[in-house]
Amino acid sequence: MSAGGRLVSGRGLVRRFGERAALAGVDVDLAAGERLVVLGPNGAGKSTLLRMVATLLRPDAGTLEVCGHRVPDRAARARGRIGLLGHEPMVYRDLTALQNLEFFASLHGVAGDGDRPMTALDEVGLLARAHDPVRTFSRGMAQRLGLARVLLADPDLLLLDEPHAGLDAQGARLLDAALARGRAGRGVILVTHEVERGLALADRVMVLRAGRPALDEPVGDRDPAAFRARYDELVR
Amino acid sequence: MSPPAAPRRTRQFLALLRKDLRLELRTRDTIVSMLLFAAVLMMIFQFGIGSRTADLETPDGLPAQVDSITPFTGGILWATIALTAVLAVGRAWVPEREQRVLDAMLVAPVPRGVLLGAKAASLYAYLVAVEVVVLPLVFLFFVRGAGAGSLAAVALTCLVANLCIAILGSLISGLALFARARDVLLPVLFLPSLLPVVIAAGGATHAAVQGTIDLAEYRGYSLFLGAYALIFGLVAYATYDHVFDD
Amino acid sequence: MSSTTDRRPGGRLAAWVALTAALMVAALAGVFLVAPEDADQGIIQKIFYFHVAVAIASLVAFLVSCVYAILYLRSRDERHDDVSAVSIGIGLAFAVLVVITGSIWAKASWGTYWVWDDPRLVTFLVVLLLYAAYFVLRSSLEGERRMRFSAIYAIIAFASVPLSFYSVRVARSFVHPVVFTSSGANMPNSMLVWFVVSQIAFLALFVTILQFELVQRRAEKALRRAKLRLEGD
Repeated sequence: MSAGGRLVSGRGLVRRFGERAALAGVDVDLAAGERLVVLGPNGAGKSTLLRMVATLLRPDAGTLEVCGHRVPDRAARARGRIGLLGHEPMVYRDLTALQNLEFFASLHGVAGDGDRPMTALDEVGLLARAHDPVRTFSRGMAQRLGLARVLLADPDLLLLDEPHAGLDAQGARLLDAALARGRAGRGVILVTHEVERGLALADRVMVLRAGRPALDEPVGDRDPAAFRARYDELVR
Repeated sequence: MSPPAAPRRTRQFLALLRKDLRLELRTRDTIVSMLLFAAVLMMIFQFGIGSRTADLETPDGLPAQVDSITPFTGGILWATIALTAVLAVGRAWVPEREQRVLDAMLVAPVPRGVLLGAKAASLYAYLVAVEVVVLPLVFLFFVRGAGAGSLAAVALTCLVANLCIAILGSLISGLALFARARDVLLPVLFLPSLLPVVIAAGGATHAAVQGTIDLAEYRGYSLFLGAYALIFGLVAYATYDHVFDD
Repeated sequence: MSSTTDRRPGGRLAAWVALTAALMVAALAGVFLVAPEDADQGIIQKIFYFHVAVAIASLVAFLVSCVYAILYLRSRDERHDDVSAVSIGIGLAFAVLVVITGSIWAKASWGTYWVWDDPRLVTFLVVLLLYAAYFVLRSSLEGERRMRFSAIYAIIAFASVPLSFYSVRVARSFVHPVVFTSSGANMPNSMLVWFVVSQIAFLALFVTILQFELVQRRAEKALRRAKLRLEGD
C-alpha cells in the first residue's frame, strides 16, 4: 500500500488537454519531510502536475500514488492529508473569516469546534478580524486567511502554487517561517516563478519544460546565481 | 502521524448546507429573484390564459359560464415552480465558481455524493421558501371552492415534487458548471427531463383543488412522483462521482 | 465495432450497406406490393409499418447510447463516447421520422396533424427536446469534460424517456379512463411478417450508419494526429 513512506510517487505521468500534452511523461517523488520546488516557464505543466498530485486531475497515462494511495482509484483516501494553496485564497468573500475556517474545519474533520479555527486565525494575525466578512479584507489578508485554511487541517502533504503572489509582507514571512520550520512527516511541493526564493525554501528542485522534466536534483549548497544562469539556459 | 479519522459525513453535509443558506441569507440573490419571478409568471398565466374564461364553450358551442380557472391551477402552479427552479439551479455553484473555492472543496475529503446531496438539500430549501409564498397566492388568485384539506394536499405534493426537482437540479447544475453560455444551456438541459414532474405534480394538484379531493387520482400521481425521485436518485448515485472527477 | 485496427473497414461496411439496402427493398416491396391493404384506412395505414419500426429503432439507438455512456464513464475510452454520440444522432434523426410519420398517420386516422392524446407520439416529441439538448451540451464543452458530461447526460436522458411516457400515460388514463391497447399487436400473419422485415431493416440501417460514422471519425482523428506530429510539438 504505502510506497515505503513516500508521500508522492509518480512515474511517466501524462496529461492531455485536447491534442496538446501538458505533461508528457514526468516522474515525481517526494519523501516525508522533503521540500520540492518545481520551476519552469509558463505552460511547462507545473500547475498541471500540482493539480494531479492534489488528486484534482486524473493522469491519462502513468502511475501515481499520493500518501500511499493510488490515484485515481483511491484518491478519496488521500484527500484527507492534502492541503492546497494557490495564488487565490479560495475562501468565501461573503462569509466571515471565522465562518470560513469553521466550514473547512468541518469538511476536513478537524476535531473540536471553536478552538482550532481561532488559533489558526491568531497564527496568521487575523484574530482581530475574525468576525468580519472576507469581502472587507485586503488581498494580502485574504491570502493569509487562505494560508490559515490550509494549515488548519495540519496536512501531511502541502501543495503550493505561486502562494507568494497574493501574500503581503507579513503573510510571506509567516509562510516562509512555516516552510522553514516544517513539521515532522510533512512534505511540500512548491510551484513558483521565483527561482531564488524557491531554491532557498527547498531541498530538491525540478525544472519542467514543455511537459517534460529538464532537471531533478537536490538543492544542496548550490550557489543561487550559478543555478540561475543554468536555469535560464535550460528554459530558453 | 497517524491519518485522522474520516470526518463524519453528517457533519460535512450540515456544514455545506449551512454554508449555502448562510451565503443566501447574506446576499439574498437567489430567493428574492425567485419570488419576483414566480409572481410575474402567475400574472403572465392569468393574462395569457386565465382571462379567456369568457371564451370557453360547451361542446354544443354555447358559452360555458365559467367564472374561475380552478381546473388550470395545477398546471399554472407547476409551470411556475418549474421555471422558477431554473433560476435556483442556475445559481447553484456560483460562489464556488466565481470565488474559485471549488478546488479547496474538492481537495477536502468530502465524498462527491455528500457535495451533490448538500446542493440538492439547499435547492429543496429554496423551493420550500418560494412555495410558502406562492401556494397561498395561487389559492387566492386561481382556486375557488376548495378548503384547508386541499391546501394541505397540495403542500404535501410540493414536498414530494421538490425532492424530484432537487435531485435532478443538483445533477444538472453540476453538468452546466463548466459550460459556455451557462444561462441558456441550463433550461434546455433541465426542463425536458423535468416534464414528467410537471405533469404528475400538476395532475396531483388538480386532483386536490377540486371541491372534493379525488383520492385515487391524487395517489396515482403521488406514487409516480415517488418513483421518479427513486429512479433519479439511482441515476445520481451512479453518476455523481464522475461530475468532479477530472 | 471491434477495437482492433480494422485493415479493411471498407469491406465490412460495404457488406452492411448491401444487407441494409436489400432489407429495405424487401420491406418496401413487401409492404406496398404484397401485404394486404387495411379495410378501413387504405394505403395510408402502410405508413404504420415504418412508423413503429423507426420508433423502436430510435429507442434501440438511445439504449445503445446509454450503455456506451456507462462504458465511457468506467473506461474513459474516447471510442465509447464516439459510439454514444453517434447513436444519439441517429436516434434523433429517427425520432424526427417518427414524429413526421406519426403526424401523417394521425391525419389519416383522426383528421388532424397532431393529437396530444397518444402518449407514444407525445413521448417522441419530448425525446426530440431531450436529445437535442444533448448536442447543445456537447457544443458548449470541450475536451475530456465534453465526453464525460455528455455521457452523464445521455444516462439522464435515457432515464427520462420511460418516465415521460408513463407520466403522459398516467395523466391520460385519468382524463380518458380507457385501456389503451398497443394497436397493431393483433395483426394477421400476412401483415406481421412485413412488419418484422421492416423492423429488421431499420435496425440494420442504424448499425450501418453507426459503423459508417465511426469509421469517418476514426479516420479524421488519425489524420489530425498525424498532422500534429508532422508540425512538431
